Parts: sequence; C-alpha cells; structure tokens
Amino acid sequence: MPTISSIAYKNLRRKKLRSILTLFGIALSTWVLVSLLGFNSGYEQSMDKDIDNLGFQVLLTAKGCPYEAATLMLQGGAGLRYLPETVLDSLRANPEVDQLTPMLMQTSFDPNQGESGGVIAYLGVDPTTYPKMKSYLTFEQGGWFTEENAMEAVIGYEAAELEQREVGDLILIPDKEIEVKVVGVLKRSGTQDDGTIFMPYKSLQTLFGQEGKITSVGIKIHKDVDVSAYEEKLYALQDVQVVSMAQVKTTISNLVSTAKVMVMSIAIIAILISMVGVMNTILMSVLERYQEIGIMKSMGATTFHIFRLIWLETLIICFIGGILGALMALGLSSTTDALVRYILPYAPTGSLIKIDAMLVLKSIGIITLIGIFSGIYPAYRAASIKPIEAIKSSEGEI
Amino acid sequence: MNTIISATGLSKIYTRGAEQIKAVNNVDLEIQSGEFVAFMGASGSGKTTLIHLLGCLDTPSTGTLTIAGKEVFAAEKSLSEKKLTKVRAELFGYIFQKFYLIPTLTVKENIMLPFAFYKKPGLHQDAVTMARRLGLEHRLNHLPKEISGGEMQRVAIARALINKPRILLADEPTGNLDTKRSDEITEILHDLNRGEKLTIILVTHNPLLASHASRKLELRDGQLISE
Amino acid sequence: MKYFKLLLLSTFILVPLLLNAAVGCDLNDPDKDVKRLFPESTGYKAVYKSIKQVGGETLLHKIETRLGDKFQGLYETMDVPYTVYIIYQDKTPVGYIHGVNQKGKYGGIQVFLSLDNNLKIKNLYFQKMSTRQGEKLKSPAFTNQFKGLTLSDMAEYDVKTGKVNGKPGDIKSPAAAVDADFVSIIRAVKKNLILMDEFF
Repeated sequence: MPTISSIAYKNLRRKKLRSILTLFGIALSTWVLVSLLGFNSGYEQSMDKDIDNLGFQVLLTAKGCPYEAATLMLQGGAGLRYLPETVLDSLRANPEVDQLTPMLMQTSFDPNQGESGGVIAYLGVDPTTYPKMKSYLTFEQGGWFTEENAMEAVIGYEAAELEQREVGDLILIPDKEIEVKVVGVLKRSGTQDDGTIFMPYKSLQTLFGQEGKITSVGIKIHKDVDVSAYEEKLYALQDVQVVSMAQVKTTISNLVSTAKVMVMSIAIIAILISMVGVMNTILMSVLERYQEIGIMKSMGATTFHIFRLIWLETLIICFIGGILGALMALGLSSTTDALVRYILPYAPTGSLIKIDAMLVLKSIGIITLIGIFSGIYPAYRAASIKPIEAIKSSEGEI
Repeated sequence: MNTIISATGLSKIYTRGAEQIKAVNNVDLEIQSGEFVAFMGASGSGKTTLIHLLGCLDTPSTGTLTIAGKEVFAAEKSLSEKKLTKVRAELFGYIFQKFYLIPTLTVKENIMLPFAFYKKPGLHQDAVTMARRLGLEHRLNHLPKEISGGEMQRVAIARALINKPRILLADEPTGNLDTKRSDEITEILHDLNRGEKLTIILVTHNPLLASHASRKLELRDGQLISE
Repeated sequence: MKYFKLLLLSTFILVPLLLNAAVGCDLNDPDKDVKRLFPESTGYKAVYKSIKQVGGETLLHKIETRLGDKFQGLYETMDVPYTVYIIYQDKTPVGYIHGVNQKGKYGGIQVFLSLDNNLKIKNLYFQKMSTRQGEKLKSPAFTNQFKGLTLSDMAEYDVKTGKVNGKPGDIKSPAAAVDADFVSIIRAVKKNLILMDEFF
C-alpha cells in the first residue's frame, strides 16, 4: 500500500544523481554551519583557556615599576619600585583571590655585553606557587628549583640558546660575581618567558639586599569574579598599578571579530546557495511530474496531500543532508580547525572547534528548518496544479 | 434506472485574445445509472471538454451540473476544491489515452494509489483481486516500464476501479494501443458495464468500442447534434 | 599599558613565526659595528649560511674532523644560521665579518672575526661574553695575538685544551682564572675560520 512518504522517498530515488548532488550541497552547508557554531563556542573556550594559561588574570606592581623584563632592559635596568612582601597577606584576605604568587625583578649590569655593556634581568619567583600557576611551562631539560633560597636558575629557551646553557651549566651574575647553577631549561612557550632567567625570589632578595621586598604579585582570581570590579578594588591599595589580562582578551577579540563576521557571511552565503539548490531541485521535479500530480488529484489527493508530498521530499533531502554534513563536520573537525587557524589573525592554542551533540542537533534542526522554508514554494506550486491542466498539458502527446 | 448525471445549459467558454471560443455550447444532457455513453465527433468538436466537465475535472462557465443528486455547479458557482476532490474520489474513476502511471511505484502500488490519499471506509478492495480480474496478477511487483502498453492501460483501469466508483470516465482509452490490445480493453469495459452495471462515459474514435455503447452522442462545435 | 598590550600581542603573533629558527649570531648594530671592525669599508651585504643548507650531514662530519671536536649540546646543530657580512670598498669585496656563538663557562661567547679576502684575521671582537675577567680577554694585549693569523695557523690547536701538541702555542691565555674561556675562544676562532673556509 503506497503512502505519501513512500511516494516521496521513491521519487527522490528516481533522479539519483540530482538528489545526491542536492544532498551533497546541503551536507556541505551543514558542515559549514556545524563547524562555525562549533567555532563560536570553541574559540571562546580556547581563548579563555589561553588567558587562564597566562597564569594570573591580574598583575599588581608598585606604581611606576616596569612589569616585564623586556621593558626593564630597554630602560637600562632603572626604575624598579618595590612593594613590601606583607602585601601578600592583605591580598590573601580578599575573597576574590584564588592564588597568589610573589615576584621580584632584579637587574645586573654586564660590562662584557656589546661595546658598552648591557643589562641582564632576573625574575625571582616562588618555587611553590609560580610553577602551579604557569602550568603550561614545560621543560626542555631539568625542572624547577625546589629550595626557596637555592642559588639555581631556570632559563627560558631563547635565553638559554643565547647563553648556550644546559642543565648543570653555570651562569654568573656579573655585579655579584656569584655563580648560579642552571637546573632547568624551559621549552618554548611563545611568551615572554622564553627570554627570561628565573630564580627563587628569596635568593634574589638575599643576593641583591632586597629582603622583604617584591616588585609584583600575580593574582589568579576565582572564575566567577568580575575582573574589572576587582581591579577597582585593588587600586584602593596605595601606590600600585594593576595590569589585567582581561584587556588583552578584549583586544584579541576585537582583532578576531572582523574575521568572524567574514566567516559568518561565507556561511550564510553557502546556506543560501544550498537553499536555492534545494528549491530548484524540488521545483524541477514538480514540473516534471505535472501530470502525475494532476492524476493524483483526480484520484482524491487534496491540495494538502500534494503539499505534504512535495514538502516531505524537501525535508528528506535536508534531513539526510544535515546528518551527513554533521558527520562530515565531526570527521573533518581537525581539518576545519587548521583552515580556520590559517584564516584568522590570531588563534588561541587548543581546539578551536568544539562540536557537541546539542550543537549537531541544533544544526540539523536549522538545516531542516531551511529545508522547510525552501520547500514551501515548490510545494505550493505543486498543490495548486489543477487536474485538468495537468491532463490537458499532455493532449496530443503520446 | 435513475439519473446519475444531469446537465442543463452546460457551456465552457475560453477567451483567446479578443475571440471567445465556446468549446461546449449549451448542452442539455441526462445520463442514467448503468448507461454506456459514447461521445463521438471530429477533433475540436468539444467532446473531451464535455466529459471533463461531466467528470468534475473542469469547471463549466455557465449552466448547472448535478451528479448523483449533488449540485456540483450551479449559478456560475462550483463546489469548493475540497468537496470536488471528494466527489471525484467517491464517484468517479478515470482512464485516459495516456496511462499516467507513477513510474517509481510498482503495478500493485499504482493500483492502490488512491488509498494513499483517500480512505473510503469499507471499500478497501484488494488490489490483488482487482489485478486478477484484469489479468495482471503476474505483474504486481513490476514497474510500469517493465510491462506492455495494454497492461499499462489495464493497470490504469484497475486503479480507476479500486475505489468502487459509480461512473467510469474514459478519454480515448484505446487511443494508444494496437488493435489486439484495444479489443481487450473494449472487452473489459463492456464486461464492467454489463456485469457490474457500471456507468461508463467515454470519448472514442474506435468504432468497435463505440459499438458497445448503449447510447452514442455526436458533438459538433460544442453542441450535441444527434442522439 | 598600551606598550604592554603591544608587546604581548606582538609576542603572540611573532613568536610562532620564529619558532623554527635557531638563534644565529648577528652584529647588534651592523652599520656601526662594520665601520668599527672594518674602517676602510664603504658598505656591506649580509648573507645567511647553514651547514645543513650548504652541505648537510657530510659537511658536518668534515667540519667536525677539521675542528678536531664534535658539535655538542642543544644549540650547536647543523641548522644554526650563520650570518656572514661581506664587506665592500666601493664596489669591490674586500673581506668578511663573521661571528660564532661559542659555549663558555658562564654563558655564550660571541666571537666575531673580521677577515680579508684570503680569510686572514684583521680583527677580533667579543660581542658578548659572560666571564669573571672580561677586561683581560678584551684587552688588545690578548686580542692582538690573533691578528694576521689564518686557518693554517690555527689548524694545530687542540680545541679541547687550547694547546698545540700538548704544549702552549703562540697564543697565550691572559690569566689562569680564565683558562676555560681561553679554550672556548680558541675553539670559536678555529670553528669560525673553518666555517668561512667551507662556505666560501
């Protein structure tokens, strides 16, 4: 016994190539759609993770103190300002704070650099809290220092390469004539850490006579805390400046949003094209079946029946195409990832495209909805065929 | 015998540019249940248009048309499309010169096609019985392209009869067939009329087929000229 | 604040580009440095060579044999890019400046040589070094010993001891405290000359 759905299904198999091509078009646009939606959520997540990888969202320094070794070296080592180490205790009392890590920056003049000498910067860190916060730092050789006042250093890859240092080698702090043993060489991280020489901050305090002083505090705040509000709160402390990574995120986001808009428009165009493709396919098949549809109507098919028949054909194509496209998106997500990475000006590390079941269902839903819309016109055309016109149109033909 | 179709002053006028063509011109006609009526006439005489009007496939321009006591067209107004569909599905079976089988469906599915849309309670006749009656039982699972022209027309007839219509409307049913197949179809139609008292209205040029008719009507320029 | 953002962004964007490049040995300020090391020069052109690109594994072995020592460690590899400054006087090439980065006791020592067309040392310059007695190593009394030498003069030096056949050679260490650095410098100068000999 034939049903409307079996008639629809069998009709799609009549012109196999045409149906497959249309299906493929739908699959492609679903692929684009799923990947894009996946990108939208994945990108956000990866970027958050990247920011998280910076270790702390907020850096607190004494007012006017340079907060990066590079800046300090450019300034010839001048301009260091200090915070008392006790600031840690008052910060620790803040409920917003998740973790804290004190840092002490120091410089030493090396007369044997270049023609007129140069400045070497050392970043004193706390061996118990710093590695935890910068968990993305991994080692080419060796590991972190373990004693909080060890005369040991961990060197970023680029600094190590310049100094030709490996684990077990010595470095010399020129001013102090002090030998420090290299215990770790970091892998490249793509951050300023690559050029940094790390030492325990307590050791630096002793070496440079800066007991009880630090230059900055890295603050990791709890995830649900409003960063900007907390920054404001920090300014209540005397003579400090606050550097927030949230601003960096905004900057990068702005940079990327243009590219995002571009990619989105491509997706919309792809979807529109496939929509027109579906409409065209179904309309063609309606016109080819003018007489068949007429005869169905003479046999009791109502306008609604015909509408349903044609609409169903559209839906089948879109639904199957949607599933296919979703599978494609899942299977090719790493390729898509690479493609997007190539297009974007800045891409965070980690997977850019996050596809989950909800997203796949949503995309198939959207594509099916698009199918429903593109099926309306052909279905309407078919439904308004009058039996007599269909039969008359064949008069004189065999 | 009771009247199943009654038409008075039935006209169908087409406008072609400034010219008005009266394809069917003021036809008065009564057809009794169980009659076998053959319309004859030259090409362009309006016979096909007339049976399309009688079969509710086309709407008249003026006149009244009553089918099985139901006023289908009166005072220049037709029943709604939905009601017309019901009339067509319940009262009529149609066969045409072309067979209009659905190429993707098997013979059996084609025969049962009306049931995809219209479920007439208690009249769900078995397609197999119908096929057997028309000598199609060995073709049930074939596709239309796999059977002969005569068989295709028999499938069309089976499809037209599956709903147990009261009137069979046939437009040149043998027009596409050779003599042998035509004779088979003629035989079938004759049996249906005699055996089951099915009302048959047809248009044909085939003299043998026409010879089985209980009434022959001739049209010229849209008007009935002889009875 | 603006500066910080820019710095961070540029590290984000630039560092991946540099990831594959090993650190070479360039002059910090070529315009000024060339003029100082090669006073008669009127211009220069920098070309980049690496053992990998010039002769690959075979060349590496040859250089190691000539040097009398293996290339070692994480950083002395055959894909290190060497910057050679070809020096012009008017339009005529008159020599080269070439530096190598040598592992020293406390850090890298960058040893630049200015050479004439026959690869004879005209001048020696430490762009950077980490050592306890830089003064002595940088003093003309020490560096002048290298002037006028060629690869054949250096060929007999053992780069692991800084000696010739177990005895001190013509080039003398300026102080016992920097003997380790002295050996490094001998190795750097010899390696520098061998590389130049192979590259040109």
